[in-house]
Amino acid sequence: MFNLSELEHDALVEIFNIGVGKAAAAMSAIVNEAVTMSVPSISFLNRANAAQMLSGEQYGERICGISQHYDGAFQTEAILMFPEDKSLEIVRLMVGEAVPLDELTEMEQEAMSEIGNIILNSCVGTLANIFERELHGSLPVYHVGTSDEILTASGSPADTVVLMLHIDFVLEAHQIHGYVAFILDVSALHDLTEQIDLYLARVMGPA
Amino acid sequence: MSKLSDDAGGMADHQQQYKGNLLDSVFGAIDLGAIVLDSEHRVVLWNTWMTRHAQIPADAVLGRNLFELFPELRGKRVEAAITQALGNNFPSLLSQTLNKSPFPLYSNAAAAARAERMQQALAVTPLAVPGAARHCMIQINDVSIAVGREKLLRDQALVLRTQTFSDGLTGIANRRHFDVAMEKEWRRARRLGASLSLLMIDIDYFKAYNDHYGHQRGDECLTQVASALSAMLHRSTDVLARYGGEEFVMILPDTDAVQAFQMAESIRSRIMALHIPHAQAGGDAKQITISIGIATLTAAQADDITDLIGAADRALYAAKRSGRNRVVAQALV
Amino acid sequence: MDDIKTVLVVDDSRVSRLMTRQYILSKHANWLVVEAGTGEEALDKVATLVPDLVLIDVNMPGMGGVAAAEQLRKLLPSTPISLLTANVQAATRQRAAEIGVGFMEKPITDERITLLIAPLEA
Repeated sequence: MFNLSELEHDALVEIFNIGVGKAAAAMSAIVNEAVTMSVPSISFLNRANAAQMLSGEQYGERICGISQHYDGAFQTEAILMFPEDKSLEIVRLMVGEAVPLDELTEMEQEAMSEIGNIILNSCVGTLANIFERELHGSLPVYHVGTSDEILTASGSPADTVVLMLHIDFVLEAHQIHGYVAFILDVSALHDLTEQIDLYLARVMGPA
Repeated sequence: MSKLSDDAGGMADHQQQYKGNLLDSVFGAIDLGAIVLDSEHRVVLWNTWMTRHAQIPADAVLGRNLFELFPELRGKRVEAAITQALGNNFPSLLSQTLNKSPFPLYSNAAAAARAERMQQALAVTPLAVPGAARHCMIQINDVSIAVGREKLLRDQALVLRTQTFSDGLTGIANRRHFDVAMEKEWRRARRLGASLSLLMIDIDYFKAYNDHYGHQRGDECLTQVASALSAMLHRSTDVLARYGGEEFVMILPDTDAVQAFQMAESIRSRIMALHIPHAQAGGDAKQITISIGIATLTAAQADDITDLIGAADRALYAAKRSGRNRVVAQALV
Repeated sequence: MDDIKTVLVVDDSRVSRLMTRQYILSKHANWLVVEAGTGEEALDKVATLVPDLVLIDVNMPGMGGVAAAEQLRKLLPSTPISLLTANVQAATRQRAAEIGVGFMEKPITDERITLLIAPLEA
């Protein structure tokens, strides 16, 4: 399986933490409450293992996924995922209404899409800015289904690698765990690694 | 400079003009708001829909900075989205659910008169313009109708939910609610090793009351009794439900046999104190009375729900058999 | 030749610490940059050293940046202390003000470091 050096790994984790931190600030402005988000860890998995990890016991059957496609300096399908009931919880917390679980409506799906849009744009935007590269993104697409269905929805071939971010989302003393998955093919992985190394070279400065 | 090449040049111009006019028409006819901003946030396109719903004509906004025109947008999601589009080349979605009505737009003149803003769903997208720095487009959809419809559905669902679980006549919980609540309290009592008491309450000689006074008075009597019983619940976890025609059931969590007996006795007295006359009552008291059967589950026992209900039923039967207007407790065997 | 100053950089990200160190040393090659990976480690460091400036990342496991800043403020009542975070919101500003520390937005850039070390150059 694909591996990064400790320093490359550290750089990526820090960049994503900055990304979700900014997203949390944006969401906090929407609800007028303190919101924090962090990325405690990341891992690289093949798609089958990623799907399996997501559908582990605590996750149940149905997952809500918000996906956006990015291309330019590198190409990837980025997907924010929460178990369906957790995503409803987030929407209800953000919207501030006490609507029962089985009444998820189209309007709330749209709210979840916006939340995905904010978080994904923030993560990828931070990546693009720090790497000083230009990307182009798409509008969010909402999916509900099993982890396998969501990870294959973009139609990527089976030998792609999934960069999985663990996400901690905290609002009003509710702590919710979710994931952001970046689906990367061989050339995208190469591009990503190259960008990380260029960044590290800049950061380390002249020896 | 032959006539042929002149014509060719003229034809190309003509086609360009046709295309330009066509696009203008389309832009004016589409049923959504379209604003285009240049890299300095100045309005460079403002379509007919915007003119109509913002009640501001294009010539009043073209060339002006969006945030000077609408200062309320500063520092909010719309500004962040515009920055994402112009700076990062990323599109943003602004749902009605989280943003409601960012722009001062009105669905129609009547709404404008009421100062009732249109519910809006926005998309802010980057626009590449050859020969110029990146622009962005703000698309606005009027989703007021969809929002209204969803609110209606939600209200209906609420009514349905209430109806599903409450008794039409008396307004207290119905049998379905009892079944759900019983299951829940049973599991809780078992899990915590707590006691749980069940009271089966039946109005004495009710058929005779109905026959003598008529069904309407019968219904009124039921409602009155239900009301009185309801008033006697003192904990949020206590549940009173209509179990059958003239039968009620009370779930009392964390209540042992002694407490349950005391509660049942108070209830019995309370109904007596209503003094609802019943000329055809079988006993000496020519008024409405109730019989109550009690069963209590304690931590020591490992029976199921039907055993508890069965025991309360048998206790009620015993109360009826031994003269009515009394409380009998049945031990779970 | 300017005076030697000591800056304590507290961040669980090694790359982040390296970057901060790089920016500071590129402006003042003789300054001393001390690193700590956690809030607890930072408190240990100040037992034996008095920094002229403390920069603390908010998002750290264990004690966390805010709790560490609070403790450090008690131990170092007049030292400039700044919280570093990508998540700047009303609650952040309020908390920083309550504790009596400053804050700066992440990512760390040359401009931001310049602003942070300014009090030491005065």
